[in-house]
Amino acid sequence: MNAQELISFRNIRKTLLRRRVLDVDEMIVYEGECAVLHGENGAGKSTLMKIIAGLIAPDSGVVEIGGKRMSWRLAYRTFRKEVVYLHQSPFLFDRSVAENISYGLQTRGLGRNIIREKVKSAIEWAGLSPLAARNARDLSGGEKQRVALTRARILEPRLLLLDEPTSAMDHESREQTFELIRDLADSGITVYISTHESARLYQPDRIIKIARGKLV
Amino acid sequence: MDGLILASTEALKLLFTGDPDTWEIVGISFLVSFRAILFIVPLALVVAFTLAYGEFPGRRILITIFNSMIAIPAVVVGLLLYMLLYSSGPFGGWRLLFTQTAMIIGQMILAFPLLVAMTHVALQGVDLNAWQTARTLGAGPVRAMFTIMREVRFGLIAAIVTAFGRVVSEVGCSIMVGGNILHETRNIPTAIALETSKGNFEQGIALGAVLITLALALNFFVAMFRGRDMARH
Repeated sequence: MNAQELISFRNIRKTLLRRRVLDVDEMIVYEGECAVLHGENGAGKSTLMKIIAGLIAPDSGVVEIGGKRMSWRLAYRTFRKEVVYLHQSPFLFDRSVAENISYGLQTRGLGRNIIREKVKSAIEWAGLSPLAARNARDLSGGEKQRVALTRARILEPRLLLLDEPTSAMDHESREQTFELIRDLADSGITVYISTHESARLYQPDRIIKIARGKLV
Repeated sequence: MDGLILASTEALKLLFTGDPDTWEIVGISFLVSFRAILFIVPLALVVAFTLAYGEFPGRRILITIFNSMIAIPAVVVGLLLYMLLYSSGPFGGWRLLFTQTAMIIGQMILAFPLLVAMTHVALQGVDLNAWQTARTLGAGPVRAMFTIMREVRFGLIAAIVTAFGRVVSEVGCSIMVGGNILHETRNIPTAIALETSKGNFEQGIALGAVLITLALALNFFVAMFRGRDMARH
């Protein structure tokens, strides 16, 4: 087994509305790398990312964690807390920025004081202090993406999956988001980004091309 | 006209002097309907969530069935339940006919499709990514469900209030499976029907006034919650 291999998938097939949207022979996620999954709209990027995140199940395929082959159910029971997936348009709960960021910590049953400290530190990291008490729904697109990234980062996942994180953003918000993503990758979190834009913008370690549901 | 004015004056006296029979009927009405809603809401929520976020064959047909069942007449539910609970019926041995329990079951059946359909509509108003977001942030299915419920709280309250309004004012099912027994199963709608048939308009008007006040209050709350919901989205 490769020591850097975090999770691997083989022979992943997925059909939606009688159309084969994914047909991947092998997909290996390496620990600590920043990779970009690059392809046109409809190429199967989001489907593959959601399968990696355990949010949807493939029709068939094999998953291995730590070199051990296991059932999808067991794999995601093991892996769910290690991976966070961010949608293209992140969904923020109808509550304050601070409450949104603390949500994942609450699901982990941490104490109030620990949560408060972690949230404070995360908010400062993302430069969101002036917005902490505001309802997250009232923020701009770029601010929402920063809240979503902070909400993901605070969970210290081993793998962070970002689906088109900078689409429909203004220049300034994009630059801020690139900076946060680089910072996340540099901190040792494995970051996978899907995009149809130039992959180089993210300065990745690896670019994985996907077209018509197949890795090329 | 004079008769109507006289009856209305007497009705107000019954209400404001705290006539025990009148207020007992109001109490039975509220207790039965409140319990029916309380017992059926959890199941309705689970079904609505399954319809909104589940992927299984026949989902769309089920949604259509629930939407259609909203219009099911109360008297038909009463008839079916009567046949099931009648002494020689399949559940006759349970001796539930003409009890508050039978009324509660009938009202649960009536409220169920309305709650499911309205909650499902409310859930459809939420971003499709909400469920996956809660799950990817570590929430289990139950916690994710409560999170989404908080997101749709105004729509959810509107559904509950509307369902309560529907069951507290229905007469067909209550009269068939409750039997309109004084001090036991006589509620507002069945009492109005009975007193009117006897020519005792005073109590009928008094109870009608309670029902109209309730209907107005419920509609006011539904409008208020819907307004808040729309303002937020």
